[in-house]
Amino acid sequence: MTTPKQDTAATDTAATDPDAIRDWLLDRVAFYLERPVTDLRPDVKLVEYGLDSVYALTLCGDIEDEYGLELEPTLAWDHPTVDAIVTLLREMISGNR
Amino acid sequence: MVFEDIVSRISGHARELPAKDAVLFVRDQGREQVTERLSFAELDRRARATAGWLRARCAEGDRVLLLFPSGLDFVTALIGCLYAGVVAVQAPAPNNQNRQGARTAGIAADADVRLVLTDSRHLATVSEFLAAPGLDQIPCVATDIEDLGDGADWTPPRADPDAEAILQYTSGSTSDPKGVVVTHGSLMHNLGLIQRSLGPHRDTVACSWLPPYHDMGLIGMLFSPLFLGCTVILLSPTDFLRRPHRWLDLVGRYRVTFTTAPNFAYDLCTRLVTDEQLAGLDLSSLRHALNGSEPVHAATLTRFAERFAPAGFRLEVFKPCYGMAETTLFVSGTPLDRSPVLTAVDRAGLERNVFTPAPADPDAALLVSSGRVLDLDVRIVDQDTRQVLPDGRVGEVWVRGASVAAGYWRNEEATEATFRAVTADGEPGFLRTGDLAVRHDGELYVTGRLKDMLVIRGRNLYPHDIERDVAGMHEAFRGLHGSVCSVPAALEEIVVMQELRPRGGDALDLPALAGRVRGELGERLGVRVANLVFLRPGQVLRTTSGKVRRSVMRELFMTGALTPVYEDLSADISRRYRGASA
Repeated sequence: MTTPKQDTAATDTAATDPDAIRDWLLDRVAFYLERPVTDLRPDVKLVEYGLDSVYALTLCGDIEDEYGLELEPTLAWDHPTVDAIVTLLREMISGNR
Repeated sequence: MVFEDIVSRISGHARELPAKDAVLFVRDQGREQVTERLSFAELDRRARATAGWLRARCAEGDRVLLLFPSGLDFVTALIGCLYAGVVAVQAPAPNNQNRQGARTAGIAADADVRLVLTDSRHLATVSEFLAAPGLDQIPCVATDIEDLGDGADWTPPRADPDAEAILQYTSGSTSDPKGVVVTHGSLMHNLGLIQRSLGPHRDTVACSWLPPYHDMGLIGMLFSPLFLGCTVILLSPTDFLRRPHRWLDLVGRYRVTFTTAPNFAYDLCTRLVTDEQLAGLDLSSLRHALNGSEPVHAATLTRFAERFAPAGFRLEVFKPCYGMAETTLFVSGTPLDRSPVLTAVDRAGLERNVFTPAPADPDAALLVSSGRVLDLDVRIVDQDTRQVLPDGRVGEVWVRGASVAAGYWRNEEATEATFRAVTADGEPGFLRTGDLAVRHDGELYVTGRLKDMLVIRGRNLYPHDIERDVAGMHEAFRGLHGSVCSVPAALEEIVVMQELRPRGGDALDLPALAGRVRGELGERLGVRVANLVFLRPGQVLRTTSGKVRRSVMRELFMTGALTPVYEDLSADISRRYRGASA
């Protein structure tokens, strides 16, 4: 069961754990698509699941709020899969970008 | 009577209300929100400076293309153009997704623009975009870093109701952009009409996240507040979509009374605003929550009103309205003292173009009125015979009156076809809107688009209704999109295109699924739906505002340009469109 966003400020260790980031992202995407999270694969393009331009931006805002980052609105085009976003976020969180 | 134009209105406010905020622009910067303010006096000063600068480079009536994001620089450039007597043309600023580039280039060429104005943040992208052949002679300037001078010797342009004020490029295709010519006369008439119909005034506080290049954002939420002398709070569409609750937060923070959005935005808020965010909202100041520019759904209104009742929102604040760029903006709306009108209507009657209220019928279609018409001559017309239809009959909306734009820019053929329609009785000068509607008890109910409508065996079927039905038939379709059209064959035939979710483990039995859709639709519509096309998610093309591009999808189907997951067509359609042997 996916739920609307709750205020779950990530702890420092959880923030850089790729599995935690991936699970959190998949949960958000599942919520937007109204699909069980078990249906989603992190290596499939979000647009193939039907994530549209509105939810791509909303997802962007979610990530910014969750991880305290500033992202380009083109996030989901530049990093089209959950895995690609995880890679980007890890780099940003560990200060490589 | 002396014609007062928008320039004299705004400079009048600058004299009478110099310190009053004309525009507040609220934007996200990291985790902070930054608020930029523009008083009427400052707007007037910057518009004079821009106008002085423009007059040194343009003749009166030249077109200037504005490629700005939402914000104060756009507002001062726009009003500066009008202060200079040049014609402002708006389009989205090109971005690195490059999806708007071709369209904006088409607009620049069609409008034959003399100059492009942008801001320093977009100057590099815009200059790159202008390097294309045909556009490379057009100078481009960033107004926030250019020394525009002080505009000290500015004098207003001659107020002329027939002079062009702006060109509005509506959603016409990329290859064939059409610029709606809005004169100063039609602009002022429409702004007055909004005031008379809906009742906003000088003490109204407006708030909008709509794109400034869109008719509803530009006329409804920028020109209208500037005309009234009230304050408008703007945020960018991107900031809204990233955090939809920001829009509603601003309502409480600034005691906003007047806001506008398309239907989808209300749905988005209902779905995404969390309980915690809701607890911090105060929507009790709202008097107008306009809903227009796409079909207004009864369920959207009731769900939103229910969800936000704890924040002080009331259903009667919803003001469904109707309009288009070709009428400057506004055609009809729900007056301040009236609640939205929802009417249960017999579906079978509606399919035969007849509006029959059916209050007790549980299967009735719940239609939302787009309000009442004031000061415009609106007729419902049979699109084939051009006979004016009586109340209660569905037909095309034709509009005549002072808000109607002058035509399409330098396109006599399209202007003639769209703006100069004549009824069967010989009444000339009507705009053909292409929208279908019915009038009942003085209320205008918009029921669909003419060109998308299916006429099957003399019955009218609406693609979005069938699409909604199909989407609800199977888990594999949920949340995805479909596109329904009809194509010519021995008899006109319905084609249903539907996106399908690929499944991990158990493969779907596609022929069985097709059979089920066909069966259920047949039962529900009473017509045969022989042709089913299953597509991958994303294959149903939509506009940037999310509307299904049905005519493009139809074209793709007819030319065999889709690569479907599965396709099951009637023998006749296969023969005609797939070259299958008889």
